[in-house]
Amino acid sequence: MHGKRKDGMRIFTTALAALAMLALASCGGASAGKTIKIALQAPITGDYAYEGQMAKQSVEVATELINKSGGVLGKQVEIVVVDDGSNPKDSALAAQKAVSQKVAAVIGSYGSSVTEPAADIYEKNKLVSVGYGCTAVRLTMDKERKFFFRTCGRDDAQGLFFGKYAVETMGAKRIAIMHDNSTFAKGVADEAKKALEPYIAAGKTEIVYFDAITPKEKDFSAAVTKLRETKPDVWYFTGYYPEAGLLLRQARDAGLGCPFIGGNAAINDDFVKIAGIDVAKGALMTQEPLVTDVTTPIAEQFKALYAEKFKELPSSPWPVYAADGLYALVGAIAKAGKIDSVAIADAMRTKMDGVEGVTGPVLFTERGDRKDVPYKMYMVSAEGKLIVVAK
Amino acid sequence: MSTFIEQLVNGLTIGSFYALVALGYSMVYGVMKLINFAHGDLFAFGAYLGYTILTSAAGKVTASIGIWGGMAFTAGIVAICVAIAGVLVERIAYRPVYPSGRLSLVVSALGVAIFIQNSIMAIWGSRPQAFPASVVPSLRFSLLGIPVTALQVTILGISFALMFAIWVIVEKSTFGAAIRASALDRETATLLGIDVRKVIFFVFALGPGLGGVAGLMNGLYYRAISFNMGWNYGLKAFTATILGGIGNIPGAMIGGLLLGIVESLLSGYVSGAWKDVFVFLLLIATLIFRPTGILGEKTAEKV
Repeated sequence: MHGKRKDGMRIFTTALAALAMLALASCGGASAGKTIKIALQAPITGDYAYEGQMAKQSVEVATELINKSGGVLGKQVEIVVVDDGSNPKDSALAAQKAVSQKVAAVIGSYGSSVTEPAADIYEKNKLVSVGYGCTAVRLTMDKERKFFFRTCGRDDAQGLFFGKYAVETMGAKRIAIMHDNSTFAKGVADEAKKALEPYIAAGKTEIVYFDAITPKEKDFSAAVTKLRETKPDVWYFTGYYPEAGLLLRQARDAGLGCPFIGGNAAINDDFVKIAGIDVAKGALMTQEPLVTDVTTPIAEQFKALYAEKFKELPSSPWPVYAADGLYALVGAIAKAGKIDSVAIADAMRTKMDGVEGVTGPVLFTERGDRKDVPYKMYMVSAEGKLIVVAK
Repeated sequence: MSTFIEQLVNGLTIGSFYALVALGYSMVYGVMKLINFAHGDLFAFGAYLGYTILTSAAGKVTASIGIWGGMAFTAGIVAICVAIAGVLVERIAYRPVYPSGRLSLVVSALGVAIFIQNSIMAIWGSRPQAFPASVVPSLRFSLLGIPVTALQVTILGISFALMFAIWVIVEKSTFGAAIRASALDRETATLLGIDVRKVIFFVFALGPGLGGVAGLMNGLYYRAISFNMGWNYGLKAFTATILGGIGNIPGAMIGGLLLGIVESLLSGYVSGAWKDVFVFLLLIATLIFRPTGILGEKTAEKV
């Protein structure tokens, strides 16, 4: 049944792509206007509307900053927003719309399953697209796409950050890693384990616990008792916040006192509510930095203008990666010297030295993933707020 | 050794929740020969009702009459409301389709389960809710070298008391005899002058009422509740019911406690990732080798 639906989807998208190709051919010629049009595909409506709105605002701010300093190739940048409604079906339509507007390149989108169909359409139309909130490993690793990039990190990038932090900063000798069997959490946990291998080989640390709990359950006392018996120095949980809150409190009840580090899905306000502030305070989390905690020169300009225009800064890390997407594209267009997808994609892969985004340098791997995605260690303060503890 | 005992206690706590939910399953199955899929969601409904009472203006009432009085008051309201919901489910969704056979009943039960779960989501939202931390103080102490919380001991005590009360009602009282008679043979029970409708009414009030209180205790104990929590507990309690012998009241209790202990030992000594694989293997093995369950002799009598 699933396969059928997928086939249906494929036929649908192919049909749309064919239509678009016809439209493109009939119009003919590249855009020769006074501006360079770049599309932003984002969830302006639907479940993630909040994220989409913030992405739109972030890109607007970045556009203003870029245009103020002269734009690119002597032209001003113009943003065309297409709404993917937070779902894969509308995403294909949105991508089609972006293609028909003859944009130079695309930023988008948020959410891996939403980005995937759009990325295929952009690929077929030879249009460079830069995802900003789609972290699934499969997007770049399952299928080779020539024109797809992303400014956000992959699900597994934070595992690497954890490994380094636990051993080098905390000096943990006995490390416990726990996931919840979901693709995302297991991916992060596996990557953390991999990141620890060189340290284990050097005799600096060992993994004393590596196991899963079942999501949606409430009682993890058996798991935390087993965990306590392994006497870990640090405990990394890569799953989601409802389980994280329950786990931490049950662990403290069972007498396990070691530092708790959650993955980027483990800690939020609800985590603090479920665990209780007495237990939650001091809990650590590996996360993409919020823009408030980024201090690059561009970030300072970005924050000032954003605050002036929209009062409050983006409350999630992702919208800023959309702005990074624009900086990356503008940088690549400048390096390529022309509006040509092949040249832009080539520049994205090989010529990005010196191109800076809001969160720092925007360099890409051969597969289109961003290199050296910045991560930070956050901590739950005594008031239940998240504060940065490490760079 | 003390870790082993600790894992047993952990298992008993999980198991007592399974057992309380399993009782409702088993009673309904005994009388109606229906797996009441909505039961798990009524359990979740109880948790949410309790949450609303404790966080709303009524929470102030309960706070003013002390923790025990407040809890009893909350549990009473939850039990009554969920019992009414249980009876309504039977009237609206089961009684009209009863003559069309068991398949229609099961489909109707699934429909009710989805209806209740989505209603909870529509009313209280899809994000998990947390019970106020101030309601029950977190008192930790060591009992014979095993770290336990005061709440854990209280919950265990209350569940065992409730299970014992149900056992007395069903096995020792005259009305219990009527329930058992209806479970054995509905038509003969009617011929003997037992008002089976009254029995059904009672079973659909008592089972969900008890499930609702279990939901409230679950919320108090784990503090976090989610709209879809009923499904998981329903599934595990159903497994417990099969293990103990479906339609058999003491069987449901034993099945629930046993399942909790097996789960806890599996994740404590084998692997948390593989726990559910073994649990459901146990369910399949029971169905193949001993379909009547551990204490299933009573259902065999009627053949």
